[in-house]
Amino acid sequence: MKLYVYCVAEKIDPPAEPASGISGARADVLDLEGFSLLVSEFAGDTIPVTRDNVMAHAAVVRSILNETTPLPLRFGTVSDEQRLRSYLASHRQALEAQLAHVRGCVEMGVKIIWNTDQPDVDSSSDGPGARFLKEKQLRTGRAREVGAWLHEQLRPLLKDEQVSLAPTEKLIIAAAHLVDRDAIGKYRDQLAEARKLRQELHFLVSGPWPPYSFSNIDLEFKTRFGVS
Amino acid sequence: MSFDIEQLDQADLSLLETLDHVLNRGLVIAGEITISVADIDLVFLGLNVLLSSVETAHEVLRKRE
Amino acid sequence: MAISPEIPPKAEPEIDTSHVDEFVEQLSCVTSSLPSRINIDAQSVEQGLAKLVLTLIEFIRRLLEKQAVRRMEGGDLSPEQIEELGLALMRLETKLQELKEQFGLADEDLNLDLGPVGRLI
Repeated sequence: MKLYVYCVAEKIDPPAEPASGISGARADVLDLEGFSLLVSEFAGDTIPVTRDNVMAHAAVVRSILNETTPLPLRFGTVSDEQRLRSYLASHRQALEAQLAHVRGCVEMGVKIIWNTDQPDVDSSSDGPGARFLKEKQLRTGRAREVGAWLHEQLRPLLKDEQVSLAPTEKLIIAAAHLVDRDAIGKYRDQLAEARKLRQELHFLVSGPWPPYSFSNIDLEFKTRFGVS
Repeated sequence: MSFDIEQLDQADLSLLETLDHVLNRGLVIAGEITISVADIDLVFLGLNVLLSSVETAHEVLRKRE
Repeated sequence: MAISPEIPPKAEPEIDTSHVDEFVEQLSCVTSSLPSRINIDAQSVEQGLAKLVLTLIEFIRRLLEKQAVRRMEGGDLSPEQIEELGLALMRLETKLQELKEQFGLADEDLNLDLGPVGRLI
């Protein structure tokens, strides 16, 4: 039987009210190999990426946040009990380590855009190729500076972070911060103060999220072949 | 595409942020299985050595400048 | 084990910004290449290999870009060379983006941890 999988967590008791997931299917707790997974029975071959399904996936992962901090799965994972057992058993150490890493934390997101009133690079005499390189130079420089500044502002509150420098033309930084739940208030306050210091930047702060950005355990190669 | 990007408002900033999380991030378990097949393990090792060389060569070139 | 009650579990994450339109525009870029259906079977083999190959190419592309900017800053490239280099890198960036979209891969997918080299991107 096919199962749509939402997240992997430490062992938990099933919630009193099961959440509603993909295509309205009920999300249940499945205990395998010492972990608790949230899953739904799944019948189809394709999963439509609709607002309802996307929000349902997020809602199911969120539904156990009071009990534990799960490792959310990417949208669209369908498997079966046997393959899941095999996956969990062979990645046990990495999963346990990652769960321990995110325990008691949530993810906050910060995205920063440069105030569009700022003049851009002067490239009136340049061809498209030269302009491309000069813009890269400007964007990378800005991104590094803003990234370093943001990190300094929040350093003591960050258990971990994932930062993208200049991910799109106007986005300077897209950062994901792993923050202790008890520190969220301080995090928000600190960020509010920091924003005032940089009027030339536009901020978007979102959260709290389950730790989507701190769930991937692509460390298998390192541990498997003992390369350090 | 299932989304009509022309007509977005505040409510959809929430959708976009959610999409950014659930579609771009999160644990991926499907691709893993392929990569741990024996042949591809070897390719991984080869790739590792190759990339070490590229990084070292890059460092050397930088120091010469 | 109950956890700090500061986080209301069922509540959706808050989004705090004074510049909704700008961020909507930029986030649409980030999500515009995503599939409208996710086909479960297509994931494994093709994607695993595509990920490996595209990661390598992306790594080299970024090295080349950094190197080009460095050379341009160093002043030892003629304006013609700068223009040619820029155009070539522009084309490479576009091509790679097309390939990523074809395989339904996001930027984060090309972040394979390969041991000593560490996080590539």
